[in-house]
Amino acid sequence: MEKWDVVIVGGGPGGSYAAKTAAEKGLKAVFFERGDRPGEKNSSGAGLGTRWWRDFPEIMSKLPELPSYRKADMIVIKVVDEENRVRLVHGTTGSDRDGSRWSNSLDKGMAGAAIYRLDLDPLIADMAIQAGAELRTSTLISDVIIDNGIVTGVKTEKGESIAAEVVIAADGGMSTMARKAGMRNRWGGGCTLVPQLDFGCDGDKLDAVAGNAEWCWFGPFNGAYQMHFAESFHLGAGKWLRPDWDTKPTEVLERVMEIPAFRKFCKVVDAQMREYQAHFLPWLKKPVKSYTGGMMLVGDAGGFPCPLDGEGIWHACMSGRIAAETAAWAISRGDVSERALAEYERRWKASPLGLEHQYGAEFVELWDHSIFDPELMKGLIQLLLEFSEIHPFSILFDWSDDHVGCLNQHIEHLFDMMPEFSDFASKYMSPLGNTISPRVVKRALLQAKPKVPLFKFLPDDLYLKLLARMNSRIRSWLETV
Amino acid sequence: MEEFKIDIKKVVFHKEGDTGDFINYDVEKCDGCGMCVKVCSAGLWSLKDGKARLAPRYGELCLECAACWEICVPEAIDFSYPASGSGVTIKYG
Repeated sequence: MEKWDVVIVGGGPGGSYAAKTAAEKGLKAVFFERGDRPGEKNSSGAGLGTRWWRDFPEIMSKLPELPSYRKADMIVIKVVDEENRVRLVHGTTGSDRDGSRWSNSLDKGMAGAAIYRLDLDPLIADMAIQAGAELRTSTLISDVIIDNGIVTGVKTEKGESIAAEVVIAADGGMSTMARKAGMRNRWGGGCTLVPQLDFGCDGDKLDAVAGNAEWCWFGPFNGAYQMHFAESFHLGAGKWLRPDWDTKPTEVLERVMEIPAFRKFCKVVDAQMREYQAHFLPWLKKPVKSYTGGMMLVGDAGGFPCPLDGEGIWHACMSGRIAAETAAWAISRGDVSERALAEYERRWKASPLGLEHQYGAEFVELWDHSIFDPELMKGLIQLLLEFSEIHPFSILFDWSDDHVGCLNQHIEHLFDMMPEFSDFASKYMSPLGNTISPRVVKRALLQAKPKVPLFKFLPDDLYLKLLARMNSRIRSWLETV
Repeated sequence: MEEFKIDIKKVVFHKEGDTGDFINYDVEKCDGCGMCVKVCSAGLWSLKDGKARLAPRYGELCLECAACWEICVPEAIDFSYPASGSGVTIKYG
């Protein structure tokens, strides 16, 4: 029987990155792709954020050469009311202080890249091949070989057996490997379906209208993203696969396509609808058990996508890298048992991947509310619009009455809104407070100290102790510093 | 407006070649809830006499999203991948 150190199932970003890492570690590695080439079976165009430059610089330096590449330096949010009018446009902008805001010191501020998976996946697969891994395309792996409770290899669809010291399953959200190894059946909740439309368009016109920005549409219908590529864009919207699903998959997309501003955008950039894609996306509060004897799960197969925005490619590459490193470590010690491979979970939990999932529940719940709770979306839109009205400039330039009268009306209106806003914020927003790091809380408290009467004369540690005694949340925060 | 209508047959692409049977449906387990009908983008499921039915030539239109598998509480639907090198192919994405 053919025998490898590491057999990797799947030629997406997670599988390819695992193969690259394994080969670089000196392991004999093979990776299998069921499509005719990597990227063919995906349906998710990629938005890559700033952390990519920190973690995968070798990929980022090659991206601008690829045909679908577009820079993505900001996100523009367009809020639509019930009558399909765009009422608010807000962008995340780069600022002079971005350099210090990003702990990775990349001096890139809010930066990113948009790329087709048809470009990205072959790039990473080629890097794995260059590193010495072998790629076999058009090969479906349909079963695992289990010996004494340990995965010892895989079987191709044609029945050929391939032995491995370690198997890395990077075969997507419906992972055949995880199911055949008895790790789970269907997920039974926490997964979404992301329908997406591709439109071809004029790249120069897109430069002029959208530039290096991604767009998001928010409205009573909930939200949709619009990712821009070199000469095309995607319109997509996720929805939870749950028993209360009451609509058809394309409903939100159809709803966005009714917005006159969207239609005018399409006309201006000469957009042509070309393709419909539907993507299955685990969107969990935390990843599932990611290892068993002889096998580790990476990427969507392990439930790793971001609990806030569903991004999954960075998570796939990170988990792929950590899984391959763990495989090298386990093989060198001659122990690939379930107990030994628990090291994989320890390692990803200690990485930035683990930190993101530490507060998965808070993130998922915020998003979960927005998809399934029309009340949240209505409340959010109303509040955004009300507060935008009280923007300093609108107070000054409201000429509906004498300026003093208008100013006071605006302020009174703000007070009228407060009870509603405070209910809204405590229900939906304050859980996100849990994600603020104790170090930042301590710094904020110390920074405020000189302005607090009486307290400002206290030594720092006594001041913090008193605050902790007064407020249980501050206490729990400070205890972890 | 015609250009904003999603005509699945025109905007989904499949390769030639037999996909094999990759959706296995157990009619005995089906409780007729109809969720598979709702989540399928390609309209491959229908409901007849209180049971779900899968279009016989589903391999020609299936998007391989597996939503029907995940949504099926009684686990009457089992999804695996179509045969090597067959099935849906993404052209723009």
